[in-house]
This record gives sequence, structure tokens and C-alpha cells, in this order.
Amino acid sequence: MAMLEISDLHVSYGAINAVRGVSFQMDKGEIVALIGSNGAGKSTILRTISGLEHARSGSIKFQGTELTKMKAHKIVELGIAHVPEGRRVFPKLTVTENLHMGANLIKDKQVIKDSLERVFTIFPRLKEREKQAAGTLSGGEQQMLALGRALMTNGSLLMLDEPSMGLAPIIVEDIFRIIRQINESGTSILLIEQNAFLALNTASHAYVLETGRISMEGPSKELLADDRVKAAYLGA
Amino acid sequence: MATILQYLVYGLQLGSVYALLALGYTMVYGIVGMINFAHGDFLMIGAMGTYFIAKLFEGQRIDGTYPMLIVGVIILIAMLGTGGIAVGTEAIAYRPLRNKPRMIALITAVGVSMFLENFPRALPFIGPNPRSFPTLFTPTSFLVLGASITSTQIIMILLAAITMAALYFVVNRTKIGGQMRAVSMDKDAASLMGINVNRVISITFFIGGALAAVSGICYASAYPQVDVYMGSWLGNMSFVAAVLGGIGDIRGAMLGGFILGIAQIFATAINSTFGYAVGFIILIIILLVKPAGIMGKLVVEKV
Repeated sequence: MAMLEISDLHVSYGAINAVRGVSFQMDKGEIVALIGSNGAGKSTILRTISGLEHARSGSIKFQGTELTKMKAHKIVELGIAHVPEGRRVFPKLTVTENLHMGANLIKDKQVIKDSLERVFTIFPRLKEREKQAAGTLSGGEQQMLALGRALMTNGSLLMLDEPSMGLAPIIVEDIFRIIRQINESGTSILLIEQNAFLALNTASHAYVLETGRISMEGPSKELLADDRVKAAYLGA
Repeated sequence: MATILQYLVYGLQLGSVYALLALGYTMVYGIVGMINFAHGDFLMIGAMGTYFIAKLFEGQRIDGTYPMLIVGVIILIAMLGTGGIAVGTEAIAYRPLRNKPRMIALITAVGVSMFLENFPRALPFIGPNPRSFPTLFTPTSFLVLGASITSTQIIMILLAAITMAALYFVVNRTKIGGQMRAVSMDKDAASLMGINVNRVISITFFIGGALAAVSGICYASAYPQVDVYMGSWLGNMSFVAAVLGGIGDIRGAMLGGFILGIAQIFATAINSTFGYAVGFIILIIILLVKPAGIMGKLVVEKV
């Protein structure tokens, strides 16, 4: 059984149909990418999975549980961690306080301590800035914090919305190395990227979104070689 | 000297009324970004409620006042009841409008305020007439440096201080306080952390309502008369106090409340009609010098 299974999902904002009949699935341990241009509906799909938007129709099943009627804070409990677009760290809280927010649902103090240590091992930069207010961090550091905060929830599926946005290429490289590392330790990853080249080189499988519909799908390697993908998203 | 001290005590007493009420305005603004114009009416509900609860305990009355324990129970019931009404108000009137343009919630709040004032007015057992607030405990007067201070004043100022200290502790040191701060900064991100945003907002309204009840009891102990419109004026003054201190900031609301209370008492002493104006004069001056209020920071959006 697929870990995440989305079938015929429709989402609209008022009269605008942002997502029109999207179906896809991913297995445990995979990195799956959704690529497509601005406004294709990628973020809306992630926001609907985590309960921030409501589906008009269709179904989202995570490990057999239907998510479309659930509240966002309940979905987190099932093990879905979402790093939203624009990072959305809590600007006036310190780095450590932000990370503790991620562990909001975890009762066991030892587990929280271990997760915190794990995050600081992955991102030594965050350790250095422990007591600093998150709003004063650089964009790259905020992205690390947003990732770290999501890891603190100990979810089994991590959804990333444009992790490369607004970051210098060298930092993007760093972030994506860490994303692969997180995946290797067993977390499944659903990745949204405008940078299709980066996404296809990270994911094993990818879906191309165009105005709310999936127009192409396949193993990333095949899509990388596809002429239409090359022309539209890889600038070749 | 004695006169100044005397006024200062009156000022602190009125200031704690404003501060407690201003906290409700500022917390609700901080967390949902709306001005709850009905908040002053929670003060009225708290004071009016206390009047009726005290009546229920009439059998316990000795020499026209109540034993300390009973007073504690009366205040607690009033706080819980007013908090509950505040939670209900949010759930019925504000929650359905949360994602609508802000102006809609603002107008609704004005409507809720009118309802909360005029519905009890229409009830036969409440009605429009003012009632005299019961004396909760035996007042004893002390002479301190020539100023006369009553035990009621001391107890009410202490009650306000303890309530505010407790609030400060809750917001800054507890898990629910952390969740409140997270929700005030970013509701979506907070719910992605597994925080039940609706629950946190309900708790905020509950705390605001409970503080308003304490505020109402403090006020009615000093000026022992309650009527359905008493919350309207006090609410406006406390809203001014919250803006003065920097709306959204808890310490600012406390500070603004005390500044306003003390200034109003001193100004009234100079000229009795000047007292009410002074709050607004201070507000205008502060806003000219520091538009975000004393403790407020103008937010510069980082993109």
C-alpha cells in the first residue's frame, strides 16, 4: 500500500480552481517531487494535505487514514511534517524556542532532548545561534530552522515547499545535501520545487503540474531526459 | 504630601481597573488581530454577575459583609462565568468571521457590544436601573503618612497585581503561553506544529473575560454602583490604555492602564471635567511621538 495516496483532488479558492483532479501516490522511503511553474497548484496541494486548505472533493489517504476532513493539528499527529513556503519561523522566538514548538506534541522529555541533539548535529549553525531570535537569522539559517523545526515533530513524511527559494546557490546545495541525508535516515520526502533541475536530481519520482493538473509523470531520470520537460522547465 | 499620596492610591486603584481590562484588549488583538469592542461589556458582566452571585450567598452575610472565603468563592465564580461568556462570544460571533476582511469582525464586535448591553437591559430581573454593589468585606481605614487608605483598596490593588503577575507567568513560562505566542505570530505555522489554534484562541478569550471580571469587581468596589452600560465607558478608556502602552504588548497594557488611571485622578483633582479628557490628551501626545505606543515596535516586514 502506498504511504500517501491522493485521488482526484479538487481545491478551489472562491471561484478559482487551483487544483483540478490531481491523483498521485508515493511509497515509504521515497523522495517524490512536484514540479511546475508559479501558480500551478503545487503549494495548494501541500497545504491541503496538511489541512491548512480544504479540498472541494477527492481524497487524501495517509497510511490508510483519510485526511480531507481532519484538522491541521490532528494531521501533524499522524506524522506529517510540513515546511511551508517562505519558511514561516516564529520571528520573535529564539532558535531553541522555535525548535521546541516543533516538539509541541511530544510528551517524553528524553525524546525531545534527543531530537534537539539530532537537529543540532545536522545543523551546527543552529546550535551557534541557539539564543538568537529567529527573525534575525539569514534566509539560509531560517530555512535550516524551518527544516529543523519540522524534524522535531518526528514525522514519517516530510513535505518541503520551495526549500531553495531566495537562497544563494552554495546554501541551496547544502540544504539539498541535508534533505538527502534526512531521507537516508528513513524519512519520506514530498518536495516542491521551481528549480526543476534540482528537484529531478534529488527525487526518485516526479510529477509535473500545469494549471492544477498533472501533465507528466515518471522516474526523475526519464523526465530529465524528456524534451518537453527540458524545453519548459530546464531552460534547454 | 498626604494629598498626593491619597490621589496616588486612588490612581492605582483606577489604574488596576484599566490595566486588567486593557490586558484583554491587547491579548485578543495580539492573537487574532481584531479589536474586541465588546470587551468592556465583559467587565459589566463580571460586576453584574458578582452582584447576583453575592445575592445567592446572602445567607452567609455577617454584619453586611461576607467572610473572606465566601468572597473568594464569589470572585472565582464571577471570573469563571465571565470567562465562559467570553469564550461563547468568540465561538458564536467571531470565529466564523476569522478569515473574512477585518472590518467585518470589527463591525460585528460593535454589534456584540450593543447586544451585551441591551439584552440584559431588556431582562426583567436586570433592567436599566443602576444597582448598588454589595460591600464584600468590612473596610478598615489606615492612616499612612496622613493619607487614608482602606483595606478594600489594598486588597483590590493586590488582587489586580497578583492576577497580572499570574498572567505574565502563564504567557511567558508555560506551555499554553508558548502556544499563545506562536499563534499570535503565525497561525498556519502554529497549526503545523500540532497546536490547536481554536483552542488557544478560546483560552485567550477565557483569560480576557476572567481578567475583565476582576476588573469589574475592583471598579465596583471603589464606585459601588453597577448598571448595564458601565462597561462601555470603562472599555473605551482601557482601549486607550492598551493603545497607549502599545497594543499587542502585555507589559504595555499594564503600564498604559496605570498611567491613565493615575493621570485621570490627578487631573480630576485639578478640574473635575478635565479628568476624562486627560487620557485622550496623553494618547494623542504619545501617538505623535511614538506611533506604536510606549512598548510597541513598528513592525518592519522582512521579505
